[in-house]
Amino acid sequence: MPASMRSEARAAAWLGRYLWSAWAGATGLLCLAAAWQAAHELYGDFVLPDPLTTLMTLADLATEPGLGAAVKETGLRALTGFLLAAGIGTAAGTIAGYSFAALRLMKPVVTFILGVPPISWIVLALIWFGASGGSAVATVIVAALPISFAGALEGVATRDRGLDAMARAFGAGPLRRFRDVTLPHLLSYLFAAWTTAIGTAWKVAVMAELLGNSGGIGGALAKARALFDIPQVMALTVLVVLCALGSDHLVLQPLREAAERWRTAGQPWGVKR
Amino acid sequence: MKLRLENIGHAFLGRTVIEGMNLAFAAGEIVALVGPSGCGKTTLMQIAAGLVVPLRGRVHRAYRRHAIVFQEPRLLPWLTARDNIAYGLACAGTPRRHRREIAAARAREVGLEADDLGKFPAELSGGMRQRAAVARALAVAPDVVFLDEPFSAVDVGLRRMMQDHLAQAAAREGFCALFVTHDLGEAARIADRLVVLSARRRGIVDLRAVPGRPGARDERFVFDLVAAWSREEAFAELLDGAGRLQ
Repeated sequence: MPASMRSEARAAAWLGRYLWSAWAGATGLLCLAAAWQAAHELYGDFVLPDPLTTLMTLADLATEPGLGAAVKETGLRALTGFLLAAGIGTAAGTIAGYSFAALRLMKPVVTFILGVPPISWIVLALIWFGASGGSAVATVIVAALPISFAGALEGVATRDRGLDAMARAFGAGPLRRFRDVTLPHLLSYLFAAWTTAIGTAWKVAVMAELLGNSGGIGGALAKARALFDIPQVMALTVLVVLCALGSDHLVLQPLREAAERWRTAGQPWGVKR
Repeated sequence: MKLRLENIGHAFLGRTVIEGMNLAFAAGEIVALVGPSGCGKTTLMQIAAGLVVPLRGRVHRAYRRHAIVFQEPRLLPWLTARDNIAYGLACAGTPRRHRREIAAARAREVGLEADDLGKFPAELSGGMRQRAAVARALAVAPDVVFLDEPFSAVDVGLRRMMQDHLAQAAAREGFCALFVTHDLGEAARIADRLVVLSARRRGIVDLRAVPGRPGARDERFVFDLVAAWSREEAFAELLDGAGRLQ
């Protein structure tokens, strides 16, 4: 079947391109590792363990049964919080984007909530929900919801009204116009917001766990801090970063690429790959 | 009469643009709406097309379908040229296969190659995008086509080709075209009838038939016609740039 073969070839080409683009990312990360190594040699083992020791500690930690469970626990909290925040925030932001009154009313509220430091939410959530997983999830929602709300609001508000008029002239109803004209434009705002939101979700979940001593990676981090085990602190930090990067680059970015093939069509080669 | 505007009046934020305008358009005729910038010709077209609701007056429509070609191509960037040309058909509920065939045929008419149909608008040149916009409008087999200075940004050769194509299509398919332009030469080439608007007097200054058949007039004739018009009082405001600065 030539048609399916062609689509397979296209998928393979896409995967190749996607993996190839990882090289550029790896180059940047290795530069960072070099700077880290230099700082380690300047300040010594106690202040900043070197990258290799950190990776060895991480590998050691990975063999222990507790770590997998901790990652799963934190991941579940971050993901639950993210999905709820992205779902509610996106829906509310999209509706608000269509109404000037809602836009004017909600924008200062969102700006205000975005200005509240997550640590305050954590303290409040600990008081309201106790030191359980619930407070971590609640904090993630409060921290990530305004981000996706603002993204959706901005996306709908900046839709191309000329294209909307064109679709209306050809007899497209409101639902079709949302699907054909607003949504593809909105998606680029949403993916940017969701990328920020999922990173925030991991960070805030770990923070809430650490302060509430409610298990997960945050709990492990609290233990390492109590023992003054700096390599372990660094290893856990790297682990959280890897988790956040992984959920962005392995889940969100491929979805984005698939949804926005039209955008890459007009880009120069250096931006594309 | 396919389309009739009755006593239309409109204002933006209290500033009157159009007042007491009466116009009627018959099947198969191309009417050019000329006038200086700010005289309300685009507003009038948007009212006729139903994109703007007029403050006063009524629009009577006795047709099934209309289409618009805007000043900019207004193609959806996330659809290929083929899907863009077929967009009006998709809105009308034409089955996918059928609308692809129509889109391909209409693309051929305006000189777009089969290769170009799979491309996104970002990969097409400005002229190709505008041609796709014309193909999109004609693909729905409209009874009335509204064109808002559609060829002001395309090169001379392409402009002539598109003007001729439009005139031939109107004659062949019998649609009525309302053509907004500020280019007298363009109006002289392809219009059956001319409506001259004024910004100062907020209304129609002159209505006249253009001799000859649209698209069949030769260059010499068009040139002489524009030269003759430019000496007339009716076109003075359109051609007088300095007077509008005061």
